[in-house]
Amino acid sequence: MIIELKNINKSFDKNVVLKDVSLTIKGGEIYALLGENGAGKSTLMNILGGVHQKDRGQILIDGKEVNFRTPAQSQEAGIAFIHQELNLINDLPVYENMFIGREIKTKYKTLDHEKMIEETEAMFKKININLDPKKMVRDLDASYKQIVEICRAMMTEASIIIMDEPTTSLTDSEIERVFEMMTTLKNQGVGLIFISHKLKEVMHICDRYAVLRDGKLVSEGNVKDVTTKDLARYMVGYDVRTDHLSKKRDLGDNVLRVENLTYEHIFKNINFSIKKGEVVGFTGLLGDGRSELFQTIFGADDLTSGHIYLDGEKVQLKNTYDAIDKGLAYLPRNRKENAIIHDMNILENSSIATWPKYAKYGVINYPAHQKRFDHLRKQLRIKMGRASDSILSLSGGNQQKVILAKWLSTDPKILILDNPTQGVDVGAKEDIYDIISELADRNIAVIVLSSEAQEIIRLCDRAFVMYQGVIQGTVSGEAMTEHNIMSLATGGELT
Amino acid sequence: MSENVNKKRSFMGWFKYKWNYDPLFSILIALIIMIILQTFVLGFDYDSFGSWWQAWSTNWMNLLRNNAGVAIIALGMTFVIMTGGIDLSVGATLVATGAFAMMLIDVGERGLLGMIGITGVTAIILTIILTVIFGYFLGMLNGIVITKGMVPPFIATLGAMMVFRSVTQHVMQGYNPRVPTEFLEIASFKIGNLMIMPIFYWAIIAAIMYFISKRTTFGRQIIAVGSNERAAKLSGINVNKVKLRVYSLMGLLVAIAAIIQVSRIGSMDYAGAGRGLEMDAIAAAVVGGTSMMGGRGFILGTVYGMLIISILNNLLNLFGVPPLLRDAFKGLIVIAAVLLQRKKDA
Repeated sequence: MIIELKNINKSFDKNVVLKDVSLTIKGGEIYALLGENGAGKSTLMNILGGVHQKDRGQILIDGKEVNFRTPAQSQEAGIAFIHQELNLINDLPVYENMFIGREIKTKYKTLDHEKMIEETEAMFKKININLDPKKMVRDLDASYKQIVEICRAMMTEASIIIMDEPTTSLTDSEIERVFEMMTTLKNQGVGLIFISHKLKEVMHICDRYAVLRDGKLVSEGNVKDVTTKDLARYMVGYDVRTDHLSKKRDLGDNVLRVENLTYEHIFKNINFSIKKGEVVGFTGLLGDGRSELFQTIFGADDLTSGHIYLDGEKVQLKNTYDAIDKGLAYLPRNRKENAIIHDMNILENSSIATWPKYAKYGVINYPAHQKRFDHLRKQLRIKMGRASDSILSLSGGNQQKVILAKWLSTDPKILILDNPTQGVDVGAKEDIYDIISELADRNIAVIVLSSEAQEIIRLCDRAFVMYQGVIQGTVSGEAMTEHNIMSLATGGELT
Repeated sequence: MSENVNKKRSFMGWFKYKWNYDPLFSILIALIIMIILQTFVLGFDYDSFGSWWQAWSTNWMNLLRNNAGVAIIALGMTFVIMTGGIDLSVGATLVATGAFAMMLIDVGERGLLGMIGITGVTAIILTIILTVIFGYFLGMLNGIVITKGMVPPFIATLGAMMVFRSVTQHVMQGYNPRVPTEFLEIASFKIGNLMIMPIFYWAIIAAIMYFISKRTTFGRQIIAVGSNERAAKLSGINVNKVKLRVYSLMGLLVAIAAIIQVSRIGSMDYAGAGRGLEMDAIAAAVVGGTSMMGGRGFILGTVYGMLIISILNNLLNLFGVPPLLRDAFKGLIVIAAVLLQRKKDA
């Protein structure tokens, strides 16, 4: 199957999102669609998926013009769209999820479980997946959920599968599993459109690429002819740095020390200490317990046992407010679930943590917050309309900067950043790295939690690698390599 | 994008913008239509403007006064719903706090304050204060079960509903407190020739609640908790404290409504009073644009919602719709209001 997009144009109100974009996607290849947030990737794919209608231009499938008015029409034509947020039902087993909306029935109109299980097994066998169809989706890890979703698309006999950032929430080994499957599909003649911010993955798995910037196609070609640096440049329009950002700083005293921290079944016997002005990384696979560890240190959950010392003094943090008061700040992972309050505007989202601090008789001092935010907004280069606009009007990168502004406004001594560049485009990512560097210069202890080894290596002075709730090892200086980090993260030792 | 529409100066442009982007606008329009309709139904068949005004305003005065108690409870319910919770126990709390007030103020031989020799104005003031504290305490009980016990609000307050009413009925069995006439002045004190006090209380409490929801840390934290509880917690908000205060405030407002009710009629039917009150309060909040999912809610909307439902009742009365059929209309308008808002969210 060949899909040709010709001169696609699309605007929302007066906002032009796509300008004369032309692409050709063939079966049997993995096609990378790249671009920063807001470049028009999603809109283009939504047009292909029948969610939005194009204003002008043509879509040809095998030379015949098509016009999708609904997602169902697109699906019928053999296009499957796997959205970033997976559409699986946790409380149903794998095989029932595979057949949602197209359940196989017996002649008595009841569900034919045997048949569905059988067909699911056949599907898994065809693409070499070892998974029990009767397992509950809740019990699957993120990669298998992704795989189930892909299999479901395959069940509908899709010949083109669009995957919107499928690897964002996956760990390295899980990503490998998904990639293996993508390669199998490719070899069976299926075309895959892969939307991702992770250029290394693109280099690794894709055959061809297209880069969108501000709604225009800026570059297209074979992946083997370019480097990640080229792709990054196409995406942002200028050269992107890849240099190391950690540098020698005069470190101050110990600002945070923890002793034997344990939280039943999640993490145990955690010991470490961090100095002022230090940038320390915590990395590992998903589910290694690092997020829970720092959420607990931040007072969001109760410790089972262990002690926390701030500036050498033993403290008992009763709740998150207490933690903020004592100079801790925690920017959580998964912005949408843990950080964004979508019923509130930008200013409120940026100031919520400091309301009580500036309030008089419980009345929020909006002018003071506005003033602080205006300052931070410039410093963080936040692109936005008015501060009274909804937080959802911002792109992912700018939302993240607003959340960062919230934490900077608390004047923290220790700033914990959990996956700070998750779902953030290249430009904003570099901005965030710069800010981390500046904060360390100002003697703030910064802790970066990330599953991207590259990020840790670029940013941190040293890093702790966690595996199943324990600190498996630490790396610093020359020893801080992707190889060493991966080996510790999978339960191995330093070699 | 939305701002382009805003800049159009034409009335239709302004109207369209407000209709699409101001959640309270459509509710206000509905209210205005109801008021106009009601005015026409009352008719203009009067000798003079003065007598028309007399009839119109008397009708309104009655309407507002009769609904002041529910309206005050609906304000508290708005906060509760905004946190993502619900309080089914308000009707039972009304009876419990009302009975409590009457036990205190009773001029018979079992009157609690009378027994320790407190009478007159002191007794009235003390009754008000203690009843409000008692209401606050009952609300706090709900809050504790919900936050510390992690019992879903629906279940916790359903249980409380049964407990509060049953205990009240048992305690008050065969006991008929007599409320002194001075106590009745709380509601029936006249300014000019008008019995305006309940409306006055409603207005003041609505204004305070509006201020709380818009400008205070507590008010905005309610939205944060209802909108995204985990994010609120990770932003330094003591989620349990916010919820505890919301349910306590709910109890306090119910106690105020109970005092108004007792002082209006001087007695209380412990089995029947406040039955269905929780539904009326929820209906007012929902018609006013408050989302049952939490996060989104408007004090002003609840005031509009309460007025819309009251006018509807009034109209059904004027039209002579059989009493047993009236709830059907109320139910339909609640559903209609939510349908109207659903369409906009999509």
